[in-house]
Amino acid sequence: MNAPSNMLEQIQSDALESLAAASDESVIQEIQTHFLGRKGVLTHFLRNISDLPKEVRPEAGKSANVLKKKLETAFHNALSDIQTAKQDQEPGIDITLPGRPVSCGAFHPLTLMNQEICDVFKQLGFEIVEGPEVELDYYNFEALNIPKDHPARDMQDTFYISDNVVLRTHTSPLQIRTMEKRKPPVRIIAPGKVYRCDSDITHTPMFQQIEGLLVDKNIHFGHLKGILTTFVHHIFDEQTLLRFRPSFFPFTEPSAEVDIQCVMCRGDGCRVCSQTGWLEILGAGMVHPAVFENVHYDTDQYTGFAFGMGIERIAMLKYGIDDLRKFYDNDIRFLNQF
Amino acid sequence: MKVSKSWLSEYVSIQSDTDHLADALTMAGLEIESVSDPYAHLKNVLVGKIRSIAPHPKADRLQCCRVDIGDKTISVVCGAKNIFEGALIACALPGTHLPNGLILKKTSIRDELSEGMICSETELGIGNAHEGILILDNSHTPGTLLNETLNLNDAVMEIGLTPNRPDCACMIGVAREIAAIESGTLKYPAITLNESGPDCSTMTSVTIENPDHCPRYAARVMLNVQVAPSPFWLQQRLSAVGLRPINNVVDITNFVMMETGQPLHAFDYDLLDEHRIVVRTARQDEKFTTLDKKERTMESDMLFICDGKKPVAVAGVMGGLNSEIHDGTQRVLLESAYFQPTSVRKTSKRLGLNTDASYRFERGIDPEGVIFAINRAAQLMNEICGATVCKGIVDVYPHTIPSVHIDVSVKKTHQLIGITPDQEQIESLLKSIEFTVNPIDEDLIRVNVPSFRVDVKRPQDIMEEVARLVGYNEIPSVSPGSAACVERPSRHLFYRQYIKQSMIGFGFFETINYSFISSDSADRLKLTSDDPRCHPVALLNPISEDQAVMRTSLVPGMLETIRRNLNQKNVNLKLFESGKIFLNHSNAPLPQEREGIVGIWTGTSQIENWQQTETACNFYDLKGVVEALMHRLYIKKLTFCKPEQADPYFRKGSVAWMMVKQNKVGILGEIHSDVLGAYQIKQPVYLFEINYEALYPMIPEKLSARPLPRYPSTTRDMTLILDKAVQAKEILDVMKSCNEKLVSDIQIFSVYEGNPISEGKKSMSFRITFRSWEETLKDEKINQIHTDIAKTVIKTFHADLP
Ligand SMILES: [Zn+2]
Repeated sequence: MNAPSNMLEQIQSDALESLAAASDESVIQEIQTHFLGRKGVLTHFLRNISDLPKEVRPEAGKSANVLKKKLETAFHNALSDIQTAKQDQEPGIDITLPGRPVSCGAFHPLTLMNQEICDVFKQLGFEIVEGPEVELDYYNFEALNIPKDHPARDMQDTFYISDNVVLRTHTSPLQIRTMEKRKPPVRIIAPGKVYRCDSDITHTPMFQQIEGLLVDKNIHFGHLKGILTTFVHHIFDEQTLLRFRPSFFPFTEPSAEVDIQCVMCRGDGCRVCSQTGWLEILGAGMVHPAVFENVHYDTDQYTGFAFGMGIERIAMLKYGIDDLRKFYDNDIRFLNQF
Repeated sequence: MKVSKSWLSEYVSIQSDTDHLADALTMAGLEIESVSDPYAHLKNVLVGKIRSIAPHPKADRLQCCRVDIGDKTISVVCGAKNIFEGALIACALPGTHLPNGLILKKTSIRDELSEGMICSETELGIGNAHEGILILDNSHTPGTLLNETLNLNDAVMEIGLTPNRPDCACMIGVAREIAAIESGTLKYPAITLNESGPDCSTMTSVTIENPDHCPRYAARVMLNVQVAPSPFWLQQRLSAVGLRPINNVVDITNFVMMETGQPLHAFDYDLLDEHRIVVRTARQDEKFTTLDKKERTMESDMLFICDGKKPVAVAGVMGGLNSEIHDGTQRVLLESAYFQPTSVRKTSKRLGLNTDASYRFERGIDPEGVIFAINRAAQLMNEICGATVCKGIVDVYPHTIPSVHIDVSVKKTHQLIGITPDQEQIESLLKSIEFTVNPIDEDLIRVNVPSFRVDVKRPQDIMEEVARLVGYNEIPSVSPGSAACVERPSRHLFYRQYIKQSMIGFGFFETINYSFISSDSADRLKLTSDDPRCHPVALLNPISEDQAVMRTSLVPGMLETIRRNLNQKNVNLKLFESGKIFLNHSNAPLPQEREGIVGIWTGTSQIENWQQTETACNFYDLKGVVEALMHRLYIKKLTFCKPEQADPYFRKGSVAWMMVKQNKVGILGEIHSDVLGAYQIKQPVYLFEINYEALYPMIPEKLSARPLPRYPSTTRDMTLILDKAVQAKEILDVMKSCNEKLVSDIQIFSVYEGNPISEGKKSMSFRITFRSWEETLKDEKINQIHTDIAKTVIKTFHADLP
């Protein structure tokens, strides 16, 4: 009879050799049963350990148990390797089936545009102010140097509530309301809904505007250009050219219209810019002294500038929207694109 | 306003081509909105040479010509008598749009091919010789374009004139700007008058009763006037700028208005009673028929031009039918006046009558230009109508309109416009537009403003002129530096944004509806007349009935949006709008503007998908949204209660008030079927409204984090059979009150009615979570509390265990 250690070595090498040769799950299970099963070789060895001479018994028992653990691990690993390999070869789930629908909402495109514009000005130190949409004639017109019976009133078709109450035609009343309450310096933007009595393909009776005002010592026209250039470069891109041309607003002097190079054709001329290569997007100017007088600001000490823009116009350019009225139809198929 | 380049060229020699000119004017503040070519229709009209003429085989009056048009010879049938072989003519080819509306086509005239048309001046719109076709002299070559060879080129520019620049509502004004831009010289038309008639003052007189309305009135009288169509050049000038030629007298007044900016009016002298002029205000409700044959009702502060007995014109707006120039007119009284701008504006507004004259008067004409214009018109009437001009002018000018001079600081100019032209440069810039400048000291200059620049009143106006003439684009862009102090953002703005953001997170789309609604909206919502929402702020001049009043509720706009979407088959909608409503405020001048949010859910709660079946949304879907929104706003004490008096547009029994600490912050429910019907909506709509004013104070100002529990929790389930009428909240309140400290949460995981539960009863299952902040709870203790809860609930609600 061989020494027990030799027998164990033999079992080990037999087991590992046959395991190495096996590639099939059932074969491995057979081998496992052959060595470790109830009637297995190693089980048999352990069961008959009492037949061994007394002095080798403890050593043999210990070694047999170590071998049992070792083989168990080897068989387990071999089986799980095969299972893993088998799983890896399975075609898997149909990952192209759609996921469980999650409903996701969206901001209205005008809100998005508004936020983007306000964010630029916030970075430039402007504070957001808001005010009433139904406004006194005084704030909407008179205090802005637009007296009654002045042709400048023709520039805006006004909705009237009564002789001296109107729907604000611009957010410029916030200039007056803010300056009445605060001493300079002032740096505000006033976003909000405005109303004009006009409804066709290019006009909705309600639209949104952002008005800006900066008043401080030593503010000049170059500063106005600086702020608006920064703004346009943020909203469109650094390459967008601007041009300032003289215009007229009763509450600014000098006044300017600000055109940007057409974002569609880059200035070559297209349908959107009526072949001019330019798009008018802003009105601006240095605050008229009459406006400062109305809010009791010292015109010797302070100067300032104001500007205003329509959100719809900029959103249409940015998002490529061709019909203004889409903004207020609230068709979910439109809203879902933003 | 339209200006013609060739007309402008009479006053200034224009160097730039049309594109550059249009650009330069735009950059000087006269925005050129469009440029058109009045001869564009001639681009298919060539010089042709008639090679042969043969009689038309089937028509006596027609002849068949072979016309050489350069690269080929074509057949043209022609009816004119003055053609001859070898004649050079204008041949319009197919595709030409003639001014009379005809579009030429290749055609056959009584079986003879005609590939073009031999045209007369009238047909081409380049002259008014009616007799026969246009015969060109031998200097022209067949095949060349007619407009090129005849030098017919012009560009008509449409100027979007701003209200401050009435001085540019005429050719001389625009020419002045061009002269300034191109450093050219403005040439005024030279006037030489042959006044061979009797003294004007013996022929007429002018009385101004209201010099406030009419500071100046000048009149001339013309005799032996021959009324006839204007010469072609004059018609051409007027047509180019969009005015219809009428007769030589009227055309001359229009021509001079377009040339100088001074509106003129010509009266038939013999139709003026007593041959004199009285300027007075109208009597209230006085009737008067204007030139357009419409009867007008005057108001007492409107200004009339009258003769010795009756009104003959609405001052500055339109003449009267009763004194109009007609074919038989022989003597003409010519008016050139300065009317007060606001007076003309009020009259024109109230009569709803805008004319070329009122446009100019209400913006302010040149008070010193009155005489120049009347002399210019007299000269043209003499030349064109053969008129004998009476000697002198009756010029009544009671209050001289003072000339304006402004002292301007060069330094302040620099400070405002951001560039630093010196005194000399400023002087030369201003001189280029006829301002005169006198230096006062090193810094100050005195600027005399020409009388036609009625918009220039303050130093800043002068500074703008300087900036404009230098060019805004020459001003360097600089940063104004950073803000001295930055204000804290307002909480309201923050919350609004936060609420919108949260709603989007819950899968809702933001909508923006019009602030105006139809005046019957309150009725459609079934609101009763004692509801303030029934008394909206109404527009005096709405665009349509649908947009007649300011909204008193966000609901109608939202229902309209739902309806529009349903019409487009968009049936599953989760929408919200955050906006203002407007409520009448009896004592305040302005209505109260209240801000809030409305949210709706209609259609499915769960879209059909391979993993799930479709489920319709219900009250609890939207309630979940409201609860989540409040949770996001850190509002803990939200409860829903049955309204004492719910808004009538909700379905009774399916509506709840949202309460936070005894304050109603909003309402939630299912829209009443009558209301849905009124908006043609055929599916259930669940809607909530929250008023920000009520909500914001409920939002905690500060957030404070709580420690996480250190000990584990345990749950126990309990099912009870209850009366159907018992409400969940009552049970939950009782359960919690059994042990406020250790009952940390209760979920309702099942509500069931029907077999085997008996009629009038329901079964409800609760999962109660127990947790202590101090220890791990032992089973015995939990069992004890659980039993207590069961006993209390059974007793309180006469409940049974299943
Ligand atoms: Zn373009």
